[in-house]
Amino acid sequence: MSGSARSLAKGSAPPGPVPEGLIRVYSMRFCPYAQRTLLVLTAKGIRHEIININLKSKPEWFFKKNPFGLVPVLENSQGQLIYESAITCEYLDDVYPGKKLLPDDPYEKARQKMVFELFSKVPSLVTSLLRKQNEEDCSGQKEELRKEISKLEEVLTNKKTTFFGGNSLSMIDYLIWPWFERMEILELNDCVDHTPKLQLWMAAMRKDPAVSALLMEPKALRGFLNLYLQNSPEACDYGL
Amino acid sequence: MEDATRSFGKGSLPPGPVPDGLIRVYSMRFCPYAHRTRLVLRAKGIRHEVVNINLRNKPEWYYTKHPFGQIPVLENSKCQLIYESVIACEYLDDAYPGRKLYPYDPYERARQKMLLELFYKVPHLTKECLVALRCGRECADLKLALRQEFCNLEEERQESVSAHQRSFLSPLAQETQIKLKAYLRNSAGPEILGYQNTIFFGGDCISMIDYLFWPWFERLDVYGIADCLNHTPALRLWTAAMKQDPTVCALLIDKNIFLGFLNLYFQNNPDAFDYGLAC
Repeated sequence: MSGSARSLAKGSAPPGPVPEGLIRVYSMRFCPYAQRTLLVLTAKGIRHEIININLKSKPEWFFKKNPFGLVPVLENSQGQLIYESAITCEYLDDVYPGKKLLPDDPYEKARQKMVFELFSKVPSLVTSLLRKQNEEDCSGQKEELRKEISKLEEVLTNKKTTFFGGNSLSMIDYLIWPWFERMEILELNDCVDHTPKLQLWMAAMRKDPAVSALLMEPKALRGFLNLYLQNSPEACDYGL
Repeated sequence: MEDATRSFGKGSLPPGPVPDGLIRVYSMRFCPYAHRTRLVLRAKGIRHEVVNINLRNKPEWYYTKHPFGQIPVLENSKCQLIYESVIACEYLDDAYPGRKLYPYDPYERARQKMLLELFYKVPHLTKECLVALRCGRECADLKLALRQEFCNLEEERQESVSAHQRSFLSPLAQETQIKLKAYLRNSAGPEILGYQNTIFFGGDCISMIDYLFWPWFERLDVYGIADCLNHTPALRLWTAAMKQDPTVCALLIDKNIFLGFLNLYFQNNPDAFDYGLAC
């Protein structure tokens, strides 16, 4: 289950078929979307192999796995391909036994999806703040991010539970976690300084085995980001 | 039609709680997103009531149903509220028995959701074309962009149909089929659909993804952009097949009434939403 393998880049040979009993995820060590899929794979104890893709120098064959050329992508031993992070997570929960991450109750399941919609503006706001870190004026975007985050705080306040799906951790928590992990590492913490329930949630998340198994090294993330923003093909393998 | 009722506007009294055994949809007769939900309600034979909302003059109480006053919203007899059209449709499929609109197979389910991603620019583009035309502006660029999206869907149709068929064939037969398809494409042009027998996006039968796409295709004609399908024969075949579906038919909006609505809507007339209703 090594996620530390060097990424495959342009000119690389395509990997062979996926062996029976295993599922493959095309990933990148620092991608928050791929982290969703890895969290679910880890939480459900699903045997998997990881192939990291160099997103700054994509192999030509990768577009046959996903016409959009994005990670994460799942490939099973039947050659079936599934992409879009939220779709991959739901697929894994449907196919594999063990702890169900999505609720069985149709209304509770719909509620998780509505919370997911509430979260939808956060990724692009965090990304644009990461890109602007060295620039002066991020106050407008930080305000916007705070506003979006407040909506999530409201959910926890109304629900009166630790996690977004209730008193135990479930799919919605894993789907939003990667961006909160990055906010902490990249010192956007002041965006959550007015949201005490979210802070408690973040602390509770860190105690989860899947979350802690996949926690990134802060130095590695910063090193990666620095290179990635310069479009360096070395970025994705930073620290290896 | 179940939704042929006057819309609720500002100053109106809120409707009471939803009776047991019924589900309510807050809707608007011409809204494509709400149309999705009404299609699913109908297709599954779910007993429901429709409450139309005047979108230009929203009742204050409506914001207790949706924080931004959007439609569609489902409300059940337990006072549970579900919104976002796709979420509402999935909720109905999960919560109600009978015919399942999403496939049972997890991979096929995932495929339908991936297809929805391919569609995501279509609603915005069709709306922009409509607005441009109604305001007397040029929209050649928009139509080109829309045609491109339709081409992507067309390609996906042809790929997925082949894959579906291939999964039943031996490797030798698969290879033969691929060669045959290439031959037909080269010699017979785009009209290669004669030998393909799955006409809907999910396979032989109509399913959720078809209903999720349909409302925008139904509107192409009345919006004045039906020519955007000129280069996509598989999509045209699909729209023809959709028009044969009893659910689609039952909810088909009369063209003249739609045009009447559009005329009033673009004049900012708040009575637009009730156009065509008997007094």
